[in-house]
Amino acid sequence: MNDFDMQLSRRLFLQQSGLNLGGMAVAGLLSGSQTRTTLGSDSLRPSTDDGFGLPGLPHFAAKAKRVIFLTQSGGPSQIDLYDHKPLLEKLAGTDLPESVRGGQRLTGMTKGQKSLPVKPAVPKFSQHGQSGATVSEWLPNIAKVSDEICFIKSMVTDQINHAPAMTKFLTGHQLPGRPSFGCWVSYGLGSECKNLPDYVVLISKMKRGSDQPLYDHYWGNGFLPGKYQGVKLRNSKDPVLYLRDPNGLPRELRRSMLDAVAQANELKFEQAHDPEIATRIQQYEMAFRMQTSVPELADLSNEPESTFALYGEDSRRAGSYASNCILARRLAERGVRFIQLFHPDWDSHSNLSSWCKARCDDTDQASAALLTDLKQRGLLEDTLVIWGGEFGRTVYSQGESWEAASSGRDHHPRCFTVWLAGGGVKPGMTYGKTDDFSYNVSEDPVHVNDLHATAMHLLGIDHERFTFRTQGLDFKLTGVEKSKIIERILL
Amino acid sequence: MIPDLKTCCLILCLILAGAMTSSTALGGEEIRFSRDVLPLLSDRCFHCHGPDPMTREAGLRLDLREEAVKDRDGTIAINPGKPDESELLARIVSHDDDLRMPPASSHRKPLSEREIAILRQWIEEGAQWGRHWSFEKPTRPDVPVSNAHPIDAFVQKRLAQAMLQPSLMADRGTLVRRLYFDLTGMPPSVEVFDAAMADRSENAYEKLVDRLLASPQFGERMAMWWLDAARYSDTDGFQIDAERENWPWRDWVVQSFHENKPFDRFIVEQFAGDLLENATDEQRLATCFHRNHMTNGEGGRDPEESRIDYVIDRVNTTGTVFLGLTLGCTQCHSHKFDPIEHRDYYELAAFFDSIDEDGRAGMSAKPYLKYRSPLAESVYEQAKDFKEACQKEREAARELAVREFDGWLTDVVKTLPASFETWKPIERPELSSLHGTQFEISPDGIVQTTGVHPHHEDYRLTFTLPADVKRLTGVRLEVLTDPSHTDSRWSRGKSGEFILSNVKLSVARVGSSQVREIEMNDAFADYEAERGKTETGYNSVQNLLNDDPRNGWSSIGAKDMSKMSVVIRLTEPLILADDERLTLTLMHRSTPGDGNIGRFRLLVTDQAGLPVESLSPSPFEEFVNAARAEVADADGAPTAWSLSQLDPQLRERLLEQYLIDHEGYQASKDRLERATQQLKETEKSRREQSVMVLSEKSQPRTSYLLERGVWDAKGEVVHPALLDQFLEWPTNDRPTRLDLANWIVSRENPLTSRVIVNHLWQLVFGQGLVRTPGDFGLQGEQPTHPELLDWLAIEFMEHNWDVKYLIKLMVLSRTYQQSSDLSGALLASDPENRLLARANRYRLPAWMLRDAALKASGLLNSTIGGPPVKPWQPDGVWAEITMGRFDYKPNLGPSQYRRSLYAFWRRSSSPTFLFDNAERRVCEVAPKLTNTPLQALTLWNDVTYLEASRVLAETAVASESKELETLARALLQRQLSADEQGIFSSLQQETSEYYRQHADEAVAFTSIGQRPALSQDAAPGIASWMVVASSMLSLDEAITHE
Repeated sequence: MNDFDMQLSRRLFLQQSGLNLGGMAVAGLLSGSQTRTTLGSDSLRPSTDDGFGLPGLPHFAAKAKRVIFLTQSGGPSQIDLYDHKPLLEKLAGTDLPESVRGGQRLTGMTKGQKSLPVKPAVPKFSQHGQSGATVSEWLPNIAKVSDEICFIKSMVTDQINHAPAMTKFLTGHQLPGRPSFGCWVSYGLGSECKNLPDYVVLISKMKRGSDQPLYDHYWGNGFLPGKYQGVKLRNSKDPVLYLRDPNGLPRELRRSMLDAVAQANELKFEQAHDPEIATRIQQYEMAFRMQTSVPELADLSNEPESTFALYGEDSRRAGSYASNCILARRLAERGVRFIQLFHPDWDSHSNLSSWCKARCDDTDQASAALLTDLKQRGLLEDTLVIWGGEFGRTVYSQGESWEAASSGRDHHPRCFTVWLAGGGVKPGMTYGKTDDFSYNVSEDPVHVNDLHATAMHLLGIDHERFTFRTQGLDFKLTGVEKSKIIERILL
Repeated sequence: MIPDLKTCCLILCLILAGAMTSSTALGGEEIRFSRDVLPLLSDRCFHCHGPDPMTREAGLRLDLREEAVKDRDGTIAINPGKPDESELLARIVSHDDDLRMPPASSHRKPLSEREIAILRQWIEEGAQWGRHWSFEKPTRPDVPVSNAHPIDAFVQKRLAQAMLQPSLMADRGTLVRRLYFDLTGMPPSVEVFDAAMADRSENAYEKLVDRLLASPQFGERMAMWWLDAARYSDTDGFQIDAERENWPWRDWVVQSFHENKPFDRFIVEQFAGDLLENATDEQRLATCFHRNHMTNGEGGRDPEESRIDYVIDRVNTTGTVFLGLTLGCTQCHSHKFDPIEHRDYYELAAFFDSIDEDGRAGMSAKPYLKYRSPLAESVYEQAKDFKEACQKEREAARELAVREFDGWLTDVVKTLPASFETWKPIERPELSSLHGTQFEISPDGIVQTTGVHPHHEDYRLTFTLPADVKRLTGVRLEVLTDPSHTDSRWSRGKSGEFILSNVKLSVARVGSSQVREIEMNDAFADYEAERGKTETGYNSVQNLLNDDPRNGWSSIGAKDMSKMSVVIRLTEPLILADDERLTLTLMHRSTPGDGNIGRFRLLVTDQAGLPVESLSPSPFEEFVNAARAEVADADGAPTAWSLSQLDPQLRERLLEQYLIDHEGYQASKDRLERATQQLKETEKSRREQSVMVLSEKSQPRTSYLLERGVWDAKGEVVHPALLDQFLEWPTNDRPTRLDLANWIVSRENPLTSRVIVNHLWQLVFGQGLVRTPGDFGLQGEQPTHPELLDWLAIEFMEHNWDVKYLIKLMVLSRTYQQSSDLSGALLASDPENRLLARANRYRLPAWMLRDAALKASGLLNSTIGGPPVKPWQPDGVWAEITMGRFDYKPNLGPSQYRRSLYAFWRRSSSPTFLFDNAERRVCEVAPKLTNTPLQALTLWNDVTYLEASRVLAETAVASESKELETLARALLQRQLSADEQGIFSSLQQETSEYYRQHADEAVAFTSIGQRPALSQDAAPGIASWMVVASSMLSLDEAITHE
């Protein structure tokens, strides 16, 4: 029996069992909704049928159908990557003027330093493409595709430490407990793909223990129902937890088990009349389908050699950032709504010239290749790609001898660079400016909540109207303070 | 004057609205302010016209009557008795977008006609004001006249109003099962179930209830509820997510419920056990409740910011768990809906502001209580027994292996090779570089670099293994000096020194685009730069393996050497397929750069043990050389040499090397190592633990209101004060946490008892009487049965906050004992079962499912308390989010099968098998049950469920052809119907046929968890029943509270 027949037989079974409910409820049953299971405060919410999202959403025509979020964890150095400040060469080693710092608090890591010497960018910069974007030599491939990119150099956050800043960057609030951006999107827009989760998370496999763990609340559902949480696609025999049947249990026996369970569950349904049983049968079928669709997705052996040539040597290694970029494209092709990559260790407190460079080596070619690849396949126009981390880095050296190879940069929330591409964003532009020290935003500040508002807008969602009631309040991703959409970067 | 269009519309609306007054809004029922009117005002108006002055528009407040009825320049918002002269109504019905309330820009729903009619009628009837229901002290309502149990009397009265009948009683078996899950969190065992069914005495049910309430499992069941509410965890949650030793508090909770500590005492001790007179250690221990929050030890963080976070978490938890107030809203501003001001929040926070803490995390999060747990002892004893058993197993395995070694040695002597070298050079590697370095290879495999010398460079060596190397256990790199190098040293770089930052090894199949990375375990070198001498950290050869260019291995400081060697051991021996090739990458990406190796050679070995754990040769090489040296024979024949001449020490080294490759011995050795480790951990838990608790600083801190809730935006000074808008409380100069606790549990407090009773109702009935258990405020839901809630709240307090009494009262009601059958009509008329005409049918929490599988199979280890344990969890779950910093090692031995309550809780990665449980980052009180495909996968493939299935299958097979009955009774507590028997019999037959033909797979399938492998004969039968058991475990009925 194929999937469609399965569906049909369930439908018949429901009809034949004499279940007579309103049309809405039956529709819910058959699509595996959570009309009743989700106990608690959200039980009053409209049901969200898989694949359909919330009624009334999108609010207006969407430019972006999906998001690929290339999360660079640890705080990439805007000064060494994108935000070129030639004046710093002259000021190298001088103390950062107090007037620039303006009382900004220091973290515990540079608090004890006697001086805050200016450390110019380590790599060289040049301009690229028709747009003339400034990109450092450490990112030669991103430089080549800079005409596809909209650089936002005036990002601002209000958190100076990793976990609160990343939580803010992803959930709109610095304390854990709110749903992640991807969960909101999954909740609001539902899925285009029946065999894969709506929100998929991919984490680079690294050899070294990272100093910034990637807490699962970064893709957690917060107060939204659990089905919206990001599903981690793991680089292991079990790409999704518990996906693989145990050794010695062949596929055909799993099918027989499932058939037996479905038959027995149908008998139970006749007796208990609980629509949740029908939902369960559906979800078991979905689980069964995922057992083939997910490994098929994760298996890159059918990708041509040209793919690996495009994404770089490291893409041949499963679990690498580059390999995850290929997976991101495959997920996008299959209609997955929100795809989020995490690459750790941008935290260059010391040894900036090797440590930050190492992250560039990990990610440069594959990030650029992803844009090229999406474009070739016609996917870039309706896929919003976001590249960025939780904050930037200081212009002053961490380590008082700024010239020493061992010196680095501290956390910096007052300005950082994020870039967007595709999905209705103007290509080949730079938005916002910072001062000569890349310390303060001098033009067009964009708060992380504004970034969320803008991304939501591109997805066809009015962030003001997209709320969820819990604890007596209507929560939204963009928080209490007014957030603005960055109109000038929209196509 | 001709009225404009807008005015016309307005008039028309007023007329329409007026026309509705003739019929009453609620069909004759009286309007109640708190139930009918206040929620409307709160939801649609208070955001801009409520308690928060910061967002108040036009200076108008609608949350206070005197403000709402005020004449304000001729307009009156609410004019009692005169709806047509009330601006509020006029604005609500206005068709003018600029005038209509709530304004479109607020995105608040416009009022429905019915809602408008309610407001109209209410104003017409005089706009009687009152307080929100939960802010009024409950009074004991009269139980409706009836012979029924008081709960049933209330419920049935409400049902009668809705013309509904309660459902029939659930059948006895269902009821016994339900009761077991509700009161112990597990199903009954078959024997106990049979006994309960057989007891036909008058009060059989009540006796069962009493027995279950008295069981220690009741304490455990209740504790799981409380741990979620208390956000209990075994780790900090932030940054390095360090471990804590707070588990004795968890056991205190179990014990408190078990001994039925009055709930007011339970609260007081958790808030202020340390402030009680002659406080005992247990009372101090109780205060860990308020230390269970996350802690952040992130390097750059100001500890004061963290400390403020903790204080705030305590206030919010107090609000949600005990008072049903969303206090968190007032951290940044006055409450938008409830009468709580910004200042109130910080006055409450001041109670928690002078804890003797400093915002640090990990094991420096003082204050601590040094506490020795009496429950650690039995856990330790079990661990000791297990270790001893493992020790015996290993000794037996070693004996066996030594006998095999003797045989091997005898054989080896007969076929001794002419010579043996541990390391074999790779003579013709394929060489390439990332940035253009050239290579020249001599016949002995020595590589000399030439051409450019880039700042950073990778060398890639691709090779296959020499024919006589059947597997790869390690690689050896020799770095050589050369006259062509700077100062004839190691490199052509400026300094002549080499700096190697990382080494990687991978395998690729010829023709495939993908590579597989090979894990390398450790590295050993004959030279390492002295630590502290080199500017940067290139002084540890082990760091070659960490993919971190900031450290590595270098020649800096080396004197009088012409060759430097490093040996790298693979984590697992690697056997290459014919079409597979290896690539070794030497990465020179250091911070200083310009230190690429000038001359080198690569060697490989298949020898395990010593040669890949040091720079020593293989014992086998020594052995061959020794044997050869002894032999005088010119042909080199080994026969003249006897094993008795073998040096005993060399023999011992040879044996050790042999054992490394002995699977049986290694398995028993690993198990012993794990058991030893577990014993060490439990030994640690017998000592004094440092439990995070509350205690006051000797000098209290000055507390401030924090502007916008920002930790360092100090506003006015505040002092601890209670929320007297809910309950006035006479206090001395500076009230303490003890005053706060006494205020919370006061008989006069309108909230606490209702909130707790609601929690308990939710535990037993699946849903609370108030369906927003954490919000009893204006935006929360109204109780479905307000009188019943109040009656229970009073009953609870008057019975000395007796939890067992209250739960017994609930489960003895007929309402509890109803069937959960959802006949079509009931589902349609009351889909959410708000009127309780049936029992709720819902999926059991994940922790009960795991515990049920353990109990049904008999695997359960019912030890109570002690340090946390690690149940089965897929490999790598911790490692992948921490990039390997933490690794999860499941417990072995009987401690694997402890209840889920005791599962180690890492906050950054909560136990995978407890899907949709509260995450314990912040307190959670509402049930969160979902129905997703991922849960199905857990039930199918989690080791716990499979292992339970295997044990159940063995029991079934031993039952002498009552297999199906055995499984059904264990898992469903009933017999199967004929139809069901048909379904599962044919599944078993199909499965059994398959496994008879594939006995290997049956063996593999049944080898799960800690179960010993079955023989090829026994496996197919067990495997087929294991399939049936696993299927039954995932049945809707098996996972459902019916």
